Formats: sequence, C-alpha cells, structure tokens
Amino acid sequence: MKKAIAILLAMLMIFSMAACTSKPADSGTPEPAEENQEQEQGKVFNIYAWNEEFKGFFEKYYNVPDGVTVNWIINPSDNGVYQQKLDEALLNQENAAADEKIDMFLAEADYIGKYVDSDYTMDISQIGFQNAPTMYDYTIKAASDQNGVCKGVSFQCCPAAVIYRKSIAKDVLGTDVPDEVQAALDSWEKFDAVAAEAKAKGYYMTASFAETFRAFSNNCTSPWVDANNNLQFDDQINAWIEQTEKYVENGYTLATAGVWDQEKTDQMFKTGKTMCFFGPAWYYNFCMTNAMDPENGCVGDWCIIQGPQAYFWGGTWLLAATGSDNTEMLKDIFETFTVNEDVCTKLVENENQYPNNTAVVEKFANDPNYGNTAILDGQNDIAAFSKLAGNIKWENHTNYDQILNEGLQNKLQEYFKGSVTKEEAMQNFYQLIRETYPAIKLP
Amino acid sequence: MKKTETGTRKIKSVSYAKWGYIFITPFFLTYFVFTLIPQFLTIYNSFFETYRDGLTQIGPNFVGLENYATLFAPDPSGTVLIFKYALNTLVMWFAGALPQFVIAMLLALFFTSYRLNIKGQSFFKTVIYMPNLIMAAAFSMLFFTLFSRVGPIQGLLESWGVLDHSFDFFAFRITVRGMVALMNFLMWFGNTTIVLMAGIMGIDQALFESATIDGANSVQVFFQVTMPLLMPIFVYCLITAMIGGIQMFDVPQVLTKGDGIPNGTTRTLVMYLNGYLRTKNYGMAGAISVIIFIITGVLGAIVYRMLSAQYKDSGRKHRERRGNVL
Repeated sequence: MKKAIAILLAMLMIFSMAACTSKPADSGTPEPAEENQEQEQGKVFNIYAWNEEFKGFFEKYYNVPDGVTVNWIINPSDNGVYQQKLDEALLNQENAAADEKIDMFLAEADYIGKYVDSDYTMDISQIGFQNAPTMYDYTIKAASDQNGVCKGVSFQCCPAAVIYRKSIAKDVLGTDVPDEVQAALDSWEKFDAVAAEAKAKGYYMTASFAETFRAFSNNCTSPWVDANNNLQFDDQINAWIEQTEKYVENGYTLATAGVWDQEKTDQMFKTGKTMCFFGPAWYYNFCMTNAMDPENGCVGDWCIIQGPQAYFWGGTWLLAATGSDNTEMLKDIFETFTVNEDVCTKLVENENQYPNNTAVVEKFANDPNYGNTAILDGQNDIAAFSKLAGNIKWENHTNYDQILNEGLQNKLQEYFKGSVTKEEAMQNFYQLIRETYPAIKLP
Repeated sequence: MKKTETGTRKIKSVSYAKWGYIFITPFFLTYFVFTLIPQFLTIYNSFFETYRDGLTQIGPNFVGLENYATLFAPDPSGTVLIFKYALNTLVMWFAGALPQFVIAMLLALFFTSYRLNIKGQSFFKTVIYMPNLIMAAAFSMLFFTLFSRVGPIQGLLESWGVLDHSFDFFAFRITVRGMVALMNFLMWFGNTTIVLMAGIMGIDQALFESATIDGANSVQVFFQVTMPLLMPIFVYCLITAMIGGIQMFDVPQVLTKGDGIPNGTTRTLVMYLNGYLRTKNYGMAGAISVIIFIITGVLGAIVYRMLSAQYKDSGRKHRERRGNVL
C-alpha cells in the first residue's frame, strides 16, 4: 500500500513537472462597432506598442484630456512576440472590462494587413475622422481593408535612402557631393563595382549582411504567397540572396552582423569603416545614435541619396481598436499627428521625422534655410525624401510578411556565416514556415 | 474484524487524522485545477487540429493521431526533427549534469568532512548557491552579451592573439552547446551541493568513524559507506535534475534568440514546442508535450529502478557487515 502511494505521488510529481500548462483556445469574433456618437468617454486609454518611439512623441506633443490615464502596454516585436500578445488581447477585447479594452494599437508595414482586414479594428470615419488630402496615399491604402474602409493613420511616411559617410565616399569615389555620389551608385551593378573599390581601400560597403534586404524586398512584384497559398520567391528576393552571397564572399559586408546588431551600429562611430547604410528618416533616431554620439560620433559626415533602387521601409500606423470607449480621444490623437501642422513641424525640427503631411513637407523642402544638422551635413533631407516619397506603392503584401522576412534573414545568416549549407538554411526556413503557418504550401 | 477494531478505537480516543486531510486539501485542490486538468486537456488537444492563422481560429477538428504522425515524419533531408531535438536536449543536459554532480559531490564531501572542518561554510554555501538566484533568462542574456561578436571575451581573446577577428562563438555547435551546458552547470551545482550535504549530514557519524578505525581509506569510506546510504537522496537529485533537463528551455532560447543556432543543434524539445505556440497550435504543441511526458516517465522509471536496486543491494550488504562488526 505504502509503495502504491509512493508510486502514485511520484507519478503525480512527474505529471505536474512535465505538464505544460495550456488553455483551450478562446475563439470568437467581436461585435461590429457600435454606434458610438452618444457614448460616454472612458477614463483609461490603453495603447499597445512594440517600442518606446511613438510613446516619446505622444508624451511630448499630445495633451491628454483631464482625468484620462494613458496606459502603455509595450512588448518587443522580436520573434513575433508583440503580435502574439496583441492578438491575445484583441481576441479577449469583447469580454474585457471597459477600462481594460485596447483603445489604440500600433502596427508595422509587415503585418498591418492582418489587423485592418479584421473586425478588431474600426472604421475611423465612424469616429468622425476624415483622411486629409495632405496625407500620403500609400499610408491610407495600407491602413484600409479590402473594401477600402480605413482603420487608422500613420504619423510618418517612410521613403528610404542610402545614407553614406562623406569622408569615406571622398576617399573611395573622389567626391562627396550627393549628386555625384548618386551618379556613381544609381544601379546595383555600379553599387557592386564601388563595393569592390571600397574593399580595396579597406572599407566595407555595408555593415550588415541584411542591410540591403528592404531595398530589394519592398520592390517585389509578387507577394510571398500566391492566390493558392503557395510560397514563392520573388526575383528581388533571389537577387538579394545572390548579392549577399557575393558581398560576404568578397568581404564587402559583415556576415555576422544583423540589421539591428551592435556590431553593425558600432560601424557608425567615427572609427567605423562602412560607407553606406540603408534607411528612412526614422533610421536616424533608431539606428544611428552612435553616429550622433558627442564624443565618438561623426555628426555632419553624412548625406542621403536615392541609391540604386528607390524603396520604402517600415512605418508605424496607429489603428483604432473596435470596442474602444475613448473615441473622441482617438480622433484627437489621429488629428494631432497627421493634420496638425504645428506638431508635424515639430516632428521634423525636433525629432528628425519625415511627417505624413505634404503641406509641412513642402514647407521644409522649399525652405532654403532648412537643413538637417542633427546628423547630416545640413543637407535638406526633407527635400530629398520628398522626391522619393511619390514613388511608394503599397502592393504585394501578405499577413505573413514579418515572420517570412525576418525568418529568411535569420536562417540565411547561418549560411552566410558558413555554419550551414544553403540547402540546410532553406530547409530551416521551410521548417519555420511549417511550424508557424501550416496553411502555406511549400515548394 | 479490522473495521470494528478501528471503530472501537475511534470511540475511545479523538482522531486527529481528519486534520491531516484538511491541511493537504488546498494542495490537492490547486494541483487538480491548475495541473491535472490542463494536463488532460493537453493530451486531449493533441488529437485535434487547432491553431490560429492570423486572427482566425482554425479548428478544433479531430484528426486522430495525425499530429503524432507529423511529428515523426522525416523532413525532406531525412531527419526526424523530434529525435534531433531530443538528442540535443540530452547532450546538453548531460554535458552540464556530469560536472554538476561530480563537483557538487566533491564539495558536499569537503563541507561535511569532520577531518577538514572547513571554516566559513555558510559564506561558501551562499556563494555557490548564488547563480541559482539569477533568473535563467537574465543569466543567458549575460552570456550572450559576454560572448557576442562585440563582447568583452571576444575582445580579450583577440587582443591576446588567441582568436582572429572572424571567429564567432555562435557559429559552432560545440561552443553554443558548451555555453548552455556551462550555464546549467553553474546554476545548479550549488543547489545539488546543498541537497547532497543535507543527505550526508543525515548519516550517522559513528559509521564514518568506525569505518576509519577499521582501516578504510577515504575512497573506501565514500564508496562503501557514504554512497550506499546517500543513494535515496542522490536518486532524488538525479531524477529532478533530469526532469529539469528534459524541459530545458529558457537558457538556449534566450542565448540563440529562439533559433537554436547553429542549424538547430541547440534547439531543445521545449523550444520546438514553443515554436508551435507562436500560432497557438495546441494540437502539435500538445503532441510534443505528450512525447516529453512519456520520455520523462520512462527515463525516470529506468533511473529509479537501476539505482534503487543497487541501493537495496548494497544497503543489505552494509547492514550485514555492520551486524558482524557489532
């Protein structure tokens, strides 16, 4: 008997330790947006975000109405964590208490479609917000569902450029004037040729194996999956892989550094040996703080040009969550960060942003006295970006983009580092898809 | 017969037995609600196709053993991934557990030895236990930073000329697995030391003394006296360490950012499970949980059988010998 009890207890112990707690999935769709004209406004405003970027702007430039508490719920986006937490909260939105409901959440270009095509976001015209003609079209298209109903706004527009080190360009090309550098780098063939010259002089062309990824991937002519859910590799993706293979082999770039890694950002110090970086206006604050370091940085040694291929990268959208009881405040926030020219002006002047307001953009672009001295050499970056902004098209996006774009980079990095073969790297990528999106059919 | 006996005793004296049951009720209740039910749900879910595609819930559709079939199906390169990950887990656990038990046993012997009589024991005990107080994820992050391409260790070794700049600790199976094993060792050897010490101190000192008087040297005392009497505690330590090892997750997860680099050779079973939880795939994740449960049960039973049989054997011998001496 004693023995039996002992065995039973041991079994229970093993059971409890091996058990992985899990809850059954809670499904269900929320009710459609209620008529909320007469609705009483809530006292708590919940915002889901994946970093502190917008929080900073919000706290500086938005006056929260009296009596309202703003609650930030921030989860990092690595490995899709942000989306998992957000999805969990959205699926529970219907049952959450009024003060617990999400009022607004942030979404990125890579996965915004997943949310705007769902009932978890609401039509912003219902809360009285009208899209302004000063907003960039693609930002509206990205935030609209398949029927063209707009569910949110973006406070930025993200045309992206090549940001180059003037002193290194001077050494490699003999010039650091933007137009002349652009002429030397206006196609990938020329870019590759310059990379070889830079290498010969002891420089890197780029500081991360994935630095040029977005310049290719955001020019894809086909989405990651076709209409029948078959995975497909666009020519642009293949071109990136081919280019990176060459760059790694020849030592034009750093195979060990990811786009966000410190090894790459260390290259932006004065002592850095890298000529080109790829990014939009948000890249300054987000990735280039080392360049702005008062002691070891190199402010003023930078200029921007279009580079080999025009593209855009990222962007943060503010989406209205269905079930929000703070609709007036939502409308107010949307207006503050898109149509309010004062705030948009400050976003440029103080925060180095490129705003989603063409009137403000034009003001700066045509202002001979304006120049970015926070990081560039006084070049009018707004004028340069505004020439690129017109090219941005919103197409070929799928809800799978974040995991596929990041997954491909991560798995291929092992190949570029030499720890696996290309075949193994691709199998690892397919395995990631098998685990994450069983619905996608693999080649 | 028996019944009447207890019955009469009940009348004669007050029974306190019910209080025992009342006091253990909260545990069994919480155990039932938070562990047993989820455990059964996990097994139940493993027979269903249930996951989320974006914000859409797919299923649950009953699929029988299909999830298990998927788990054991070889991938295009011919590897059955679950075997690969199980092997990874065992290799990394063993590489950490071996030094963990050897060092812990040595330290426990030193600390309890009446001959050495080490001073400042509580200080050393605190220090060796310290790594266990740090959250595994934080500890792992620390190692990631230390060994990263721009970390201090790389810099130091480069300046000494040991490594060339192109070296990357995270590109080799042996270094990444080594880091995981080292961390597990560092985190757990203190804990094991303290449990083993408690076990050794529970042994009658007279036995050590009489063995010494009989002319046994330290090695003989260890194998003939300490080890047989310590066996129950040792088995307990080993089984709990093994269960912990099979569920190894946070250290390699944080160290390799969830990818199990290089080429999935540091991906453990629970990391594999976690990959499916990204899309709330309770079907596949449940199937992996069941496999882990079975592996744990089987290994636990084997270790228990093996060691306890030995213990019974040597314990009997020991008793006989002791009887002779007396």
